[in-house]
Amino acid sequence: MADDSIIIIKNLGKQYELDRQPQYDSFRSALAGALTAPWRRLRNKLTLSSAKPRSLWALQAINLTIRPGETIGLIGPNGAGKSTLLKILCRVTTPTTGEIVLHGRVAALLELGIGFHPDLTGRENIFLNAALLGMPRTLRQARYDSIVNFSGIADFLDIPVKKYSTGMYVRLAFAIATHLDAEILLMDEILAVGDTAYQQQCWQRLTASAQAGCTILLVSHNPEVIRRLCTRTIVLTQGRVLFDGPTPDALDLYHKILRDSQQPTGTQN
Amino acid sequence: MRSAIVIRPPHRWTVPDLRELWQYRELGFFLMWRDLKVRYRHTVLGALWAIIQPLVQMLIFTLVLGRVIRTPSPQIPYAVFVYTALVPWTFWANTLNACNYAVMNNAGLIRKVYFPRLLIPLSALATGLIDLMCAGLVLAGLLWYFKIALTLRALLVVPLILILMLTALGLGAGLAALAVRFRDFRFIIPFIVQIWLFITPVIYPAQLLKSAWRPAYYLNPVAPLMDNIRAVLLNLPGDWRGLYAAVGWMVLILLSGIFYYNNQARRFADRL
Repeated sequence: MADDSIIIIKNLGKQYELDRQPQYDSFRSALAGALTAPWRRLRNKLTLSSAKPRSLWALQAINLTIRPGETIGLIGPNGAGKSTLLKILCRVTTPTTGEIVLHGRVAALLELGIGFHPDLTGRENIFLNAALLGMPRTLRQARYDSIVNFSGIADFLDIPVKKYSTGMYVRLAFAIATHLDAEILLMDEILAVGDTAYQQQCWQRLTASAQAGCTILLVSHNPEVIRRLCTRTIVLTQGRVLFDGPTPDALDLYHKILRDSQQPTGTQN
Repeated sequence: MRSAIVIRPPHRWTVPDLRELWQYRELGFFLMWRDLKVRYRHTVLGALWAIIQPLVQMLIFTLVLGRVIRTPSPQIPYAVFVYTALVPWTFWANTLNACNYAVMNNAGLIRKVYFPRLLIPLSALATGLIDLMCAGLVLAGLLWYFKIALTLRALLVVPLILILMLTALGLGAGLAALAVRFRDFRFIIPFIVQIWLFITPVIYPAQLLKSAWRPAYYLNPVAPLMDNIRAVLLNLPGDWRGLYAAVGWMVLILLSGIFYYNNQARRFADRL
């Protein structure tokens, strides 16, 4: 059962330390902190006060098993840990507890056009961005024409991207991203851009990837996006999995959470 | 069989994954290429800027220290004497600063994309190396103009630059990581570099430093390097004992710098 899964997440947790960082932000205060540490420890022992740094568990006790070819939606209110989960999956940041096993190459799109340099031309940015997202050279050469075609900016390839319209910029970025050929595609809120015709194109591209066996993990605030693409949806709240199952049920639950949070306090308990 | 990637909480000390670094070598090249391209794109003089910095410094030092103060330069015109050391010094100074700025400038990438973080100081180093080569060409012209012939000993400049490079990488990466952890270092690093020039035999002969306080020469990781680079290029007597010290410093600085950087780099995304 576990053998045919592509992503296995066991007891994953991510803790951010909130107090410690600003406190030690400057060298001087770190030095002062180190010098006064024995005194503080002594005082804590005497007063028995637990002066542990205040911390925040952005994710806690996450257990998920994802099979190849699944398209999974990830929804939840702001601060639920959706983006943190994707960041850990693509190794931008490290977990505090737990373990993840990935059976396949990961392509992550935490932001469209990340790594684009405004002063470089479209053509130059295709090469830079493709290398950045881990596309091997042979693949890049094979896909170059397809990327240009899909983005529809063939006439503007030699113009710096800072002169592009937002639409052009996004189309180029999306074109590169969806030509990566990874087994696992992680996307954070990137479909909310472009005109309708282009969005249609993106849908098709994503659906095609999914049909080709690509595993997709999609973060979105847009229920329509989730409804159309995902069969299974995970609802995260306060760093924990609240629900993991069929998309319609997940969306119902999500709407209920949103309604509850909009209501003034007092109705709870 | 598909290769599995396992993600776990990091150990306290991890060894840099050299094989992964090699897999990402192309990205390192692209980062360097981007920096070069962007740096000169809107400039009138373009790549000439790589040459102008040490050249102007040479002119000023020649005027002030050579003509006005009459700093001794054994058997060699002061201009050539100072330039042969200014070229590697500029490389050293720029690399230390560039590593620091590179981490800050790539903060957006670090927060959103995974790649071996060591590529950042490495590409900063490579960019500096290109500048070094440009400045080296000018040096060749200068030697030709003053009719100073290179001897076979000049070939030793290659291993010497290699030692300088690795020392710069270690210290540059280490300081850049410190600058992420403690913001103060953003201001400290350029300051350190500025002061460092004056305690290194670049604009004056090593003999002056040694006669003032001998250990100052051996305690400074780059003093023997600047001294010996000049010595092999201009066929002056070198200090091989100092070179042992420099190699020792290199090993120490490279290992500790890279390890510190690598361990801090895991938290860059949370801290930048």
